[in-house]
Amino acid sequence: MLEAIRYFSLRALRNMRQWPFLCMAAILTMAISLATIATFFLIVVNIEQLAARWTGEIQVIAYLNTPPSQQDVVRLTEDLEQIEGVETISYVSPAAAMERFRDHLGTDESLLEGIRADLLPASFEIGLLPEFRHQEGIEIIVARLEEILPVDDLRYGQTWLERFNTFINMLRFIGAFLGGFLLFATLFIVANTIRLTLYARRDELEIMALVGATMRFIKIPFMLEGAIQGFIGGLLSLMFLGVSFSLIISRGVDAFWLTPVDFDLLFLTAGQQLLLVVAGVVLGVLGSLSSLRRFVRI
Amino acid sequence: MIQLYNVSKRYSRDSVAVKDLSVKIDKGEFVYVTGASGAGKTTFLRMLYIAERPTRGQILVDGQNITRIRSHQIPYLRRKIGVVFQDFKLLQSRTVFENVAFALEAQGKKRFEVSKKVYQALKEVGLEHRLQRKPLELSGGEQQRIAIARALVVDPLILLADEPSGNLDQDVTMDIMELFKRANARGTTVLLATHDYSLHRRFPRRVLTLDEGKLVGDQRPLEMATAKQ
Repeated sequence: MLEAIRYFSLRALRNMRQWPFLCMAAILTMAISLATIATFFLIVVNIEQLAARWTGEIQVIAYLNTPPSQQDVVRLTEDLEQIEGVETISYVSPAAAMERFRDHLGTDESLLEGIRADLLPASFEIGLLPEFRHQEGIEIIVARLEEILPVDDLRYGQTWLERFNTFINMLRFIGAFLGGFLLFATLFIVANTIRLTLYARRDELEIMALVGATMRFIKIPFMLEGAIQGFIGGLLSLMFLGVSFSLIISRGVDAFWLTPVDFDLLFLTAGQQLLLVVAGVVLGVLGSLSSLRRFVRI
Repeated sequence: MIQLYNVSKRYSRDSVAVKDLSVKIDKGEFVYVTGASGAGKTTFLRMLYIAERPTRGQILVDGQNITRIRSHQIPYLRRKIGVVFQDFKLLQSRTVFENVAFALEAQGKKRFEVSKKVYQALKEVGLEHRLQRKPLELSGGEQQRIAIARALVVDPLILLADEPSGNLDQDVTMDIMELFKRANARGTTVLLATHDYSLHRRFPRRVLTLDEGKLVGDQRPLEMATAKQ
């Protein structure tokens, strides 16, 4: 067994040394393909993260038909705290609402002279947990609010939320579509590059079959070679992404017009980095296998 | 050792390489397969090491019906057969030693065994001093001798040679024929496809003659001598 592992590993390494140009071509193709997919993934993830920050502003305002008493405010606040998905609750009395309005008007506050202090309705401002900051989540909470509160009107930026939902869905659809397309193109390019490297070595494959080598004996070194190339390709793509990412960070992401000042770009997590390298290995092995099928006929 | 019963090989409706061929070759025989170009010599040999499957008929090699053999069993059959080609089919990126060792490694032989047998096989063909050379650094005759060493290193029951002297001059051809005769003397059945009639005049052996895929002659040395008289 050890003898076999040693022999196959040596043969894989020797093959790579004997065909350095072909080997480099396969490695670079895989590195570029993986880096392209990972870059695309990072772009989608970061846009989603950025979009998720906009939803931080989402809150539901429940305007009440009559101002509740002090005891009712306490009771209603306790009831509201029981609703799943509610993060913050803030009661705004008619007087506090008027005060805010006055602040808003600034120098034009004289416009409010003669207007009753309790003209504006009392309201509850309800902040939501991040996982409920979407249309379905809000609708669940709104339904509960209507049961608990004597609601006159409910406001939560319905139109904006609908548009935002459409945007996110479209982003995910385009992400999945382009991602799938890129993945397919990557598989195609890698398989063809490996096929080209095997084509150059078809004599070797033919002679192997001729002298009585089993399929296993023929395939294992090539698969091992594909795995090594995929591993190196995966590491190279990771290095390329790391360097590009730190360059972007060092140049300052806030230079981009759409990023908020305190926005941190997301990079691949440790698990995703490992996945990228494993994907390289799998790509290399599958690419070799699919091409070998064409060249080795026993 | 080799038996063919009504074997035909058809590539398309109009292209028949071998037609209704029946022949029996005993263990340890030395047989020439002759005929003009396109007579079906190569197809005949290719069917014996299952590079081609016959369209009709049965082929038995060492008692095994190879027309019914499964793909995964083919390598094990090929280990009993050494094949030598006109174009040598050597790996140019490997040394002489590696080229010969390749056949043994493919059969999963141990390292010490490989080294010993490769050296013996190269000594047999007189190239033990060229171990570390690459094939392209050697002459055509030397390259063919490496190919023969590769075919013989596995101690095959059968040695198939397809126009082995096609690219070689007369002197080298005589050396190559000596190697085949020696292998035959050790008990290996040899089938040599050639259109060089001078070969069987110099080394008289059984001759199978093919014409347009059909067996038109099967002469043994005695019959040939009688025919001459």
